[in-house]
Amino acid sequence: MFGEEELVKIHKERATLLSYIITAAFGLVLSRLWYLQVYKGETLHNYSIQNRLRKEVVWAPRGLIYSRDDQLIVDNIPRFDAILTPQFLMEKEKTLTKLSKILSMDEASILQILKKNSNQAKYRPIIVKKNISFDELAQIETQNADLPGISVDTFISREYRDKDIGAHLLGYISEVSQTQLPKLRERDKMDYRLGDFIGQFGIEEQLDKYLRGENGHEFVEVDARGRRKRYINTDNLFKGIEAEKPLSGMNVKLTIDRDMQIAAFNALEGKVGGVIALDIDSGEVLTMVSRPSFDPSQFSRGLTPEYWRSLVTNKEHPLRDRNIQEHFSPGSTFKALTGIAAFEEGEIDENTEVFCTGKWYFGRRAYHCWKKEGHGATNLVKAIRESCNVYFQKAANRMSIDALAKYAKAFGLGARTGISLPREVSGLIPTSEWKKKRLGQEWQPGETLSCAIGQSYVLASTIQLATAYAAIANGGKIYRPFVVKDVFDTDGELVKTYTPELLSQVQLKNPKTLKFIREGLFQVVNSPKGTAWYRRGQGILMAGKTGTSQVRGASADKVHQKCELMDYESRHHGLFVGFAPADNPKIAAAVIVEHGCHGSSAATPVAEAVITQYMKKYHPDMYLQNLDKDKTIKDSWIKSLKSAAPKPSAPAGDE
Amino acid sequence: MAYILTLFLIFLVLLMGKVGMGAQRWLVLGPIRMQPSEFMKMGLVLAMARFFTKVNPEKQLGFKDLIFPGIIVMVPAVMVIIQPDLGTGMLLLFIFCMMIFYKRLKWNTIATLGVIALFSGVLMYNFGLKEYQRKRIHTFIDPYEDAKGSGYNAIQSEIAIGSGRLFGKGFKNSSQASLNYLPENHTDFVFAIFNEEHGFFGSVFLIILYLVFFMRMIWLATSVQRFYDSVLVVGIMSIFFWHAFINMAMVSGLLPIVGIPLPLMSYGGSSMLTFGVGVGMATSISNSRNFFN
Repeated sequence: MFGEEELVKIHKERATLLSYIITAAFGLVLSRLWYLQVYKGETLHNYSIQNRLRKEVVWAPRGLIYSRDDQLIVDNIPRFDAILTPQFLMEKEKTLTKLSKILSMDEASILQILKKNSNQAKYRPIIVKKNISFDELAQIETQNADLPGISVDTFISREYRDKDIGAHLLGYISEVSQTQLPKLRERDKMDYRLGDFIGQFGIEEQLDKYLRGENGHEFVEVDARGRRKRYINTDNLFKGIEAEKPLSGMNVKLTIDRDMQIAAFNALEGKVGGVIALDIDSGEVLTMVSRPSFDPSQFSRGLTPEYWRSLVTNKEHPLRDRNIQEHFSPGSTFKALTGIAAFEEGEIDENTEVFCTGKWYFGRRAYHCWKKEGHGATNLVKAIRESCNVYFQKAANRMSIDALAKYAKAFGLGARTGISLPREVSGLIPTSEWKKKRLGQEWQPGETLSCAIGQSYVLASTIQLATAYAAIANGGKIYRPFVVKDVFDTDGELVKTYTPELLSQVQLKNPKTLKFIREGLFQVVNSPKGTAWYRRGQGILMAGKTGTSQVRGASADKVHQKCELMDYESRHHGLFVGFAPADNPKIAAAVIVEHGCHGSSAATPVAEAVITQYMKKYHPDMYLQNLDKDKTIKDSWIKSLKSAAPKPSAPAGDE
Repeated sequence: MAYILTLFLIFLVLLMGKVGMGAQRWLVLGPIRMQPSEFMKMGLVLAMARFFTKVNPEKQLGFKDLIFPGIIVMVPAVMVIIQPDLGTGMLLLFIFCMMIFYKRLKWNTIATLGVIALFSGVLMYNFGLKEYQRKRIHTFIDPYEDAKGSGYNAIQSEIAIGSGRLFGKGFKNSSQASLNYLPENHTDFVFAIFNEEHGFFGSVFLIILYLVFFMRMIWLATSVQRFYDSVLVVGIMSIFFWHAFINMAMVSGLLPIVGIPLPLMSYGGSSMLTFGVGVGMATSISNSRNFFN
């Protein structure tokens, strides 16, 4: 038997071993600490700093957009939201009463906003009222102490000065969505982030790389829940971590004239359609307006679901641009091109007469003229002036569709103009080859007759028609329409300037071709028998062509049905394409008014309004001279009225 | 006696304990909330000391000698693990191991037990662990796999330690703690914060203090007159050692994260009481040794 002390002694060996084990264990811990604190110390130290720092984006101010006459169209304006952070909200009742007084909202609605957001974290601010006034801002800031949890959030809002006017052209910016992110990154090779704003439409989209600028960043210290602690400035710990100032986007000057935009927008009041006006000697787009429209400002900060729904459920599709993203049957506006083709091919000359009885038969089918009683003996100028279907159909009947297409395409139809705006449609000028390829069928001669008057397969957009008519006016020069004149940096230095691009010069063999076509177009507006006589305007000496685009193929019995009596959806589109002044052309314009029934009554006044604004502003001398010329024309008309006893019937319709 | 009492308390916990942090650990008696598994450590040490002193104190331990002590430890250990508090349960086993090692467990038995432990460990991982426990082990192997979730603590803890570098950020300058990146920074993760604030040299100093403390206890165990006191001191030392080692190892990423406090550093009710009692007993033994001299 061992004594107690002996017992302790024989265990001493194990006690020593234990002390080794313990030392070894702590040695292990120490070596780990060495690894973490010394070997990886710098890295982990940086992590710990990064942990606390949140890189916050400082948005680059987006470039401004000016009109051709240096009027600001798109601006950045600081806006203020009243926000409430539930975490800091104290004396709820009292604070909210006070706040409701300042913001002139009733308390119940504030409570409702709070309730709506009650499931989010308490430190996340809730927007109580968007876009508060300076007065409200001042009150909140000065009464800060009595309003715990209430503050003002400042942001830069994209402001489109004329709201809906020209929205399709200007486009809008909005946050990059989750689905867009990968596509856009691929497209632009840019590292976009969720929450970045990007141009999504129109100029904002097309010139995004110039307008966007470069975002800067600053660092704020945050805790583990992302709550902001304080701004980093000169704290030793954060040496070398610096904020980066944003680089403002570049400013853009458009070829668009703001006053003309406004005039165009007003002229389209109550109508569904679009108007585009070009400078015929450069292709500069002077006006481009589509209605109904939308307010692009709504997109730049939190598009409300209600507004979005109102846009997409609207039957008139306010988001759709009528000038470059839609094409229509050009209707009678196409006759000018049929005329050119027939004249150039030698099938007609200025004296060729066709007798129009109101309809004629080709094969077994009857082809109607819009005028039931017929135009009688008709030459080219009269045919254009009074828009005789029979004349052009008979002229086209002597040609192949391919010959017709050759001239239409030469004038820029059937292909994208290549304007630097997204999603342009190409329109369509059919050929026999096209039909074979597309539909697998032979071309029928009868179809040529429909195409000759701008129906059937023929499709064109207003921008194409305006380009074509500009070429008619300027002697066959096809310019690529463009909307951006210059790009400036913030110091006003010119970065990029866009010059007119002459795409082609239409070679016409017969020098008389354009002369007589223009004469016809002049008489459309300036002859009492012309289809647009009653809408000719003053001081602009416009030349042009009205047109009607059939929405539904009209059966024989309905050909002469009054358009206004049809359902809205079945009514014809009204078109007008023209240029002015006729004797010294400067501007070409094309107008579509959907379901407007007549080119003359629906579309012509729009062109007239735009061109009048243009003439007054840019060519005031010419405007005054033309007023005199108009007077002469009117006088001679009144004289002729007096001498001719039976009053000529009013040319109400057109085709 | 103490052993029986705490065993009863743990049993009570299983029957009617409060659920805290997803586990049933707390027993509420009026104003007192206690965690009996905490006291079990002391109870176990006392019971073992008694047993080893009464039964063949001079003999080296073999398999047969482990049967009864095995029961003494397994009953509470299993009950604690069921709660489930794997950390404390394992701790009881570790303390037990250290004590039987001191009580001269035969080397070949140690080897056999090692092999058995390895196998049962593998089996346990596959069948015995709850999902969150298994996740902790996964997290341990690669904390960055789920950096915001289960790996968060491990990563933030390493960042805290590493960012202290050689000299630390200074007392109360821990950003990980003050900005709440590291939860439980005053209890289980206090060592990480200590490292962040005092750096490598600070922790060397702290570890030396612990070593001095343990060496002093081992020396005490070899210099007492009564064998019971000797085993008891080794047991108390085991409690401290395993807490300290496991805590430091888990905080620095050597072991998976388990809820084990750092003795004499961590804030916390029951465990503080245990450590207090432990130091008190050791001091008392040290005193009585002088007294009998």
